[in-house]
Amino acid sequence: MKLDPRTKLFLAVVANGMIFTAPLVYSLLMVVVTSILLLLEGKWKFVCTFFFVYLGAAFFFDLAKNLDIGTSGTIVLASLFLMYRIMPACAVLYYVITTTKVNEFLACMSRMRISNKVTIPLIVMIRFFPTVFDESRAIGNAMRMRGIRLFSLRTLKSPVAFLEYRLVPLLVSITKIGDELSIAAVTRGLSAETKRTCVATIGFRWVDFVVWAYCIAVVVMFLLRN
Amino acid sequence: MNISLKNISFSYFDSLDDAILKNLNLEVRSGECVVLAGESGCGKTTISKLINGLIPHYHSGTMDGDVLLGDKNTADMTLAEISRVVGSVFQNPRSQFFNIDTDCELAFGCENLGIDPEDIKLRVENVVREFHLEHLLGRSIFNLSGGEKQKIACASVSATGPEIFVLDEPSANLDLKTIADLKEIVLRWKKAGKTVIIVEHRLYYLRDVADRICYVKDGQISHEWTPAELEAKGPEYATNLGLRCLNLEQLREGVVRQAHQPCKVPELVEGPQGSKVLDLAKQSIAKSIVFTNLTFAYHKKHPILDIDRLELQCGQITALIGHNGAGKSTLAQVLCGLQGSWRQKRVARKRGTYLIMQDVNHQLFTESVLDEVLLGMNPQNKEVALEILDDLNLKPFASEHPMSLSGGQKQRVAIASGISSGCDVVVFDEPTSGLDYRQMLAVSATLKKLAADGRTLLVITHDPEFILNSCQSVIRMEHGKFVEQYLLSGNEQLLVKMMQL
Amino acid sequence: MRTTGKKSSNTLVRDLVNVGIFGALYLVLSGLGASIGFIPAFIVVSTCMVSLVTSVPLFLFFSKVERPLLCCILLCLLFGVVMIISGHGISFGLLCVVYGVLAGLCLNLFHKNFIGCLLANVMISFVPSSMMIPLWSSTEEYLAYCSSVCDSAYIAHLAELSSSYWPLIGLFGFGAAGAVVGGFIARRVMKKHFERIGLAQ
Repeated sequence: MKLDPRTKLFLAVVANGMIFTAPLVYSLLMVVVTSILLLLEGKWKFVCTFFFVYLGAAFFFDLAKNLDIGTSGTIVLASLFLMYRIMPACAVLYYVITTTKVNEFLACMSRMRISNKVTIPLIVMIRFFPTVFDESRAIGNAMRMRGIRLFSLRTLKSPVAFLEYRLVPLLVSITKIGDELSIAAVTRGLSAETKRTCVATIGFRWVDFVVWAYCIAVVVMFLLRN
Repeated sequence: MNISLKNISFSYFDSLDDAILKNLNLEVRSGECVVLAGESGCGKTTISKLINGLIPHYHSGTMDGDVLLGDKNTADMTLAEISRVVGSVFQNPRSQFFNIDTDCELAFGCENLGIDPEDIKLRVENVVREFHLEHLLGRSIFNLSGGEKQKIACASVSATGPEIFVLDEPSANLDLKTIADLKEIVLRWKKAGKTVIIVEHRLYYLRDVADRICYVKDGQISHEWTPAELEAKGPEYATNLGLRCLNLEQLREGVVRQAHQPCKVPELVEGPQGSKVLDLAKQSIAKSIVFTNLTFAYHKKHPILDIDRLELQCGQITALIGHNGAGKSTLAQVLCGLQGSWRQKRVARKRGTYLIMQDVNHQLFTESVLDEVLLGMNPQNKEVALEILDDLNLKPFASEHPMSLSGGQKQRVAIASGISSGCDVVVFDEPTSGLDYRQMLAVSATLKKLAADGRTLLVITHDPEFILNSCQSVIRMEHGKFVEQYLLSGNEQLLVKMMQL
Repeated sequence: MRTTGKKSSNTLVRDLVNVGIFGALYLVLSGLGASIGFIPAFIVVSTCMVSLVTSVPLFLFFSKVERPLLCCILLCLLFGVVMIISGHGISFGLLCVVYGVLAGLCLNLFHKNFIGCLLANVMISFVPSSMMIPLWSSTEEYLAYCSSVCDSAYIAHLAELSSSYWPLIGLFGFGAAGAVVGGFIARRVMKKHFERIGLAQ
């Protein structure tokens, strides 16, 4: 059940809008459609966990809201509430990210006539997250061998030095990789001016129309009610 | 397509006074395979950059002369136009990918050139068949080994159908098996009539591939041989020029001869230590360090590492060999207490094992070499620190920034910092990858000295020349298991045979 | 004899790649810095932590790019896009672009000297600080909506929290203060490390 990336983006935008501005019923409507889509992708494990935690949070919130717990308690409760509100958004995000390939996403961006100046940094960024973690892990290992730890007397004495030890090697190796990456990119014909083509095939099918219709219906319903 | 470089001078700075290339001329005929060899920093990579258009289009500097591809001057083309005729593969497989999965990466070059999607699909199918990449399709780039990444890089460049291929030290991070695959790929290009330029230190895999070997020195091409000519001149001739061996068979003889004459090392003068090496080695014959129960697994069913017992002779250099993915790096991490159960970690801390990483940039933290050494010890012991630095010929650089030093010096700073934190067992992860002959000898001299001081050294390496030069025993592992361990002397042929596969 | 590597179209790719790299780094580091806000008492201070941690990479970023205005806008836009996808409003994205423009202008105006970098750093520090704005800007709707699901006692608590603008000012203030302190640290680190290594001028 493949959706067009543009449909997914629309779904994400509507869901976010509903979750943060409309009453709970509407975000529940979005949760339902997202869950169905996730189930169709075979992600039943995620859906089960999601509902378990979501309903659990709702239950606790319901239990705690009537108690008099003071200001600090209220702040905790407020963050719990925020988490519980944000969870549907996370589910949508999870769906969009796990089911969209990067090249499909790029194809969709070029269909929407978004400039290379935005897409190039975006691909680099997506590609770079794992690299940042890899490099950071290697540096962490090196620090451990030298006995530099976050929880130690030395760090307590000079937290800035700890930050320095952690950041400087990371920045050096990452800028080096970045330089090599841009060299590799220009020798392979990447430039900001020329138009790229995309192999990924994207296009609207009947499922897309169903999802669009559903989302629009929810929005219309919300607007009519207010 | 012919390539001709005419009277090229180039400097990375504003004037041609300290140029890296001086009035260089090079003609490459269509369908030829030319290897550019020479010591590090001689300008051979700069030549490759002239051909793929990075100079004059990307790197800033000052240039004189013309580079012609066919009958077009690169200065009059854009980089995108050049990329249609010249495909480039670089040294570091980590940093030449733009996408996170292999399918996208294979199509990336074609997409940039604006080729029709249907056509791209056809081209990608073709290269996949040609390079036998079926098993790599649809994989994440981050789960591939260095060799697999390099194969994808070659295939991806090949898909755009350039006439010229420029490879900049493509084998630096590969094991011997994938180097053989790389050789196949270059041969395939040659058969298809493509022009191939390879900048490389390792020459042995190019013996049957190259038409010409050009030796670059002082910004010019000072010698030109066919591989057969170079081989006929004997291994000594090549090593005197700072070249790696061309024929692994010749290695053994070369090593035996070298043992009799002191080798010249530019940075580390080896004099009185020569005798010291032998004495200490004799004393410590009986002594050895035993590691037990070296196991590691992410999932219980698929152990990555499964070794009951590992014995390392004190005062010796032991080579650890095996294919990519054999678990060598995991073994190194478990030995150094970076992976594994807390018990394993505690044992490692007690033993004082220290890992010198392949990318030493990761383990240099402070602003000067001296601080780097003092970081692991009591700051009052400045004399001790200076002594350690002196031992490793780093004293003149004590106030320099560690990261501003050359690769070999950085490596020694990392070693010094390991020694200062009191380690007895030093594990090296590919210390000689991408080094020329002289640099390799310098590393080898450092390691020999460490061993002479009674430390135990374990070196993960794919470099047969280095092993024959400096190691006393060899451990081979495959699939996370111990295969064999043998003393090197008398078994050199066994090693060379293993390495040739 | 001629100089090379001055053609703009090729350095543009380098700048764009740099935006991507530092964007990734900025997101990871700001995420780490903000994670201190999981302890409710530290929510207000978390912006300070974020700007402290991200100052050094941002300074390096400023010194590396050749088109400060474009690159700052793109960096902030990237952050905004990621945040929109993960559940913030479109208006937050627009705000990000505004901060990006301001930061880029600061850099252009002062020719990337220390003052310019410091000001740009402060501007960019407003980006994570702005993430909490909806709690105050749309209090009415928020509370009205809450009243449909929660009971009155809790609403009173919430109203009490959001009726004061001090926490909001605190968020921005701490963020900016962190950016200034971080800026001075970053200048030291740049001098001590990156200029000596040759990564920055």
